[in-house]
Amino acid sequence: MRLAEAARSPKARRVWLGLASVVALVAAYTLLSNAYRVIDPSLLPDPIRGVLRPQILPPTQRIFDAFVQLVGAGASPVGGAYVHTGDHIGGLVEQRVTLQGSLLVSTYRVLIGVSVGAPLGILAGLLMGWSRAVDEYVHPIYILCRSIPPLALITYVMLWLGHGTAHVLLPIIYAVFATIVIPTYHGVRDVSDVYVKAARALGARGRLLLSKVVLPAAGPFVLAGLRYALIIAWMTTVGVEMLMADEGIGFLLIGGGMWSSRLEVAGDPAVIVVGIVALALIGYAMDAGVRVAGDRLTQWVKR
Amino acid sequence: MPDPRRRRLEIRDVVHVYEGKMATRALDGVSLDVHENEFLAIVGPVGSGKTTLVRIVAGFLTPSRGVVRWDGAPVMGPSPERGYVFQEEAIFPWMTVRDNLAFGLLAQGVEASEREKIVAGLVTLIGLEGYERAYPKELSGGMSKMVEVARVLATDPAILLLDEPFGLLDAQTRSKMQDQLSRLWEEKRKTVILVTHDIEEAIYLADRVVVFAPRPGRVQAEVRVDLPRPRSLETRFSPAFLELKRSIWKEIGRA
Amino acid sequence: MSGPVRRRLWRALLSLGALAVLYGIASQIGSALLPRRIWMVAHYIDDVELLPPYASLIEETVFLIQSGILPRSILVSTGRVLQGLALGAAVGVPLGLSMARAARLECLLDPWVTFFRFTPALALLPLYALWFGLGELSKILLIATAVAVVTLLGAYQGVRDVPRVYLEAALSLGASKGLILRKIVWPAALPQIFASLRIALGLAWVTVVVAELIKATMPSLGYLLALAGAYPRVPTIAVAIATIGLLVLACDTVALGCYAVATRWMKRSPAHA
Repeated sequence: MRLAEAARSPKARRVWLGLASVVALVAAYTLLSNAYRVIDPSLLPDPIRGVLRPQILPPTQRIFDAFVQLVGAGASPVGGAYVHTGDHIGGLVEQRVTLQGSLLVSTYRVLIGVSVGAPLGILAGLLMGWSRAVDEYVHPIYILCRSIPPLALITYVMLWLGHGTAHVLLPIIYAVFATIVIPTYHGVRDVSDVYVKAARALGARGRLLLSKVVLPAAGPFVLAGLRYALIIAWMTTVGVEMLMADEGIGFLLIGGGMWSSRLEVAGDPAVIVVGIVALALIGYAMDAGVRVAGDRLTQWVKR
Repeated sequence: MPDPRRRRLEIRDVVHVYEGKMATRALDGVSLDVHENEFLAIVGPVGSGKTTLVRIVAGFLTPSRGVVRWDGAPVMGPSPERGYVFQEEAIFPWMTVRDNLAFGLLAQGVEASEREKIVAGLVTLIGLEGYERAYPKELSGGMSKMVEVARVLATDPAILLLDEPFGLLDAQTRSKMQDQLSRLWEEKRKTVILVTHDIEEAIYLADRVVVFAPRPGRVQAEVRVDLPRPRSLETRFSPAFLELKRSIWKEIGRA
Repeated sequence: MSGPVRRRLWRALLSLGALAVLYGIASQIGSALLPRRIWMVAHYIDDVELLPPYASLIEETVFLIQSGILPRSILVSTGRVLQGLALGAAVGVPLGLSMARAARLECLLDPWVTFFRFTPALALLPLYALWFGLGELSKILLIATAVAVVTLLGAYQGVRDVPRVYLEAALSLGASKGLILRKIVWPAALPQIFASLRIALGLAWVTVVVAELIKATMPSLGYLLALAGAYPRVPTIAVAIATIGLLVLACDTVALGCYAVATRWMKRSPAHA
């Protein structure tokens, strides 16, 4: 196929246009963020002068520098105890906070949250979808629980568990749990009903019915719930880390401090942008992983 | 003055290929004429391209080769003068029966009072008095199909394209619908193309039955139906009807 | 009231009642068994009731209402959520609709939508604080961003899922582009838009609570929570959490009601009844 022909096919056009849009916006941003070097800021009207500053719109090359600095921070010669410098990236480098290290810690937290919260949530959804009595007794309590944002519990949980690992992980586990119950519940209750009747008529009972009929039929719904739960898990992890953890990507974004004194240090937008891009990429990669694995597990679904 | 020999629709050497990983040739050089006020039925098995053909006539598809002319002018895209009734449920579920029936008139900018009058007439025609404000979910499958037919009739199209309109209904309802459609046609006298896989339905309703052969779709035979009108239950058991049925089955068997 | 509905109601009351009684007992036992001294960050704090009994919870509620703290906090937080919701939906819904209708626009925006979909909205908080200050604007814009992404995807998917047959039927009845958008695409996509608004509302509350916890400039529910956590005053924490939960529940119920109205024309499968 010739190139011109390839560009005309819808899929290729999609990729090309998407790429063009990313390149164009990055180029436009680079020009805009470097404008302060060319144009004398004192000549600009007030609101524009306020925006066209490297402290507000970091030039693209500074974002890249921050990336390099953050990746290499582990090997920094300064190191040692934390000295409050009042400078976002300086503080991070002093504490030897690296981008990859922070991502690793956060990913670990998300994975713990999913691997503990998801089975519990799936189990609850399964029981509620399977038995009407369980549903009628438990659903009201579940609705109450679900209504409380996991991060609102932070202050209370801390009193019980102290300031430690469990305290950071519990809201994440709770968030994943609360998210995945509903899709599982609907998958089991609404979808597999016909199949359950058919399988019962064929003599299937108990564990056979559960493992061969109910779970596979609800599978696509559980997987969709899992994908959404991953997004929620990342959201909660970042929130918890911004609020109280002293490592992880949320900590990197906010640069330290405790409680309401956080955000008092003026953040470095270059660091924040690096953190956000890293979060988007890792979130996308994890979602793609679950999607591909899920498609394999549910090959029988018509797509 | 309607002239039964006046040619209104010309289909000339229409070829259609669905592009994709495995390109399929759905139609392979189909030529057909449809005359003023003629009721034409197209029968054929799944995959004989009959739906593709009416979709081309409606203007939803552009043929890969060949041409379709309506009153001498090539067909370019859908138009309300070629009314289309779908195989799927195409009644708008978020509109009441009345709003469904009025939609085509609204699209043509017909005044509200005039719309009301035409809709009232249609409601009586299909016998749905009292259901004007009902949502389609409250109607039976047969009723909502009839609303779809009436919705198309509201704008008084020159030709009616019916793509297996009763394919999703049960046998009893289907035969009731056929009676209703037959009466409607005798009252309104329109040019109609009916696509169906139900041979009895084709004979019962049509003046002429075209048999399609599958993969790729092409015209295999044409059978004229000279049964007297109005047709009724008795028609279905008349020797002439059964003879037509036998000859069409034979044609299909030869494909 | 029909039998199954009454049974459902009874069972719900029974289980919620049992939970309430259980807490009452636990709080009585707890005040005897649990330590009243807890280790907080760097030092011990005395006389903390980890499971405050009903009496002190009621007392605290009355105090917070009479002093005007709770009503004001509710107003401020709810106001932020609703403003963010309105702003986010006003951006997200039209953008999602047009992306689904214009292939080129979709290709151009697709990478950015994907980017924001996987960026936790909370991660934007430090950036917004830098750009728009620590006041109202950054919080409302943060909520709006979270809402915009969710509603954009909902509107987009809603339009994408409109069965082709409706569009073709409208076209062949002679409908113009504008009429199709108003009478076909919009009502057909509305259920999914409302469903996405419901999700967005939940997300908006999560976002506002965290934003308020991190940096509060005005009495608000998150601020109340942060303050009570710093002392720590457990009854205040409990009242604040319960208030947030009830508000989320109320918002969700309203959203569910809107969804039910927007979909009253839909067929419901018996399992949903």
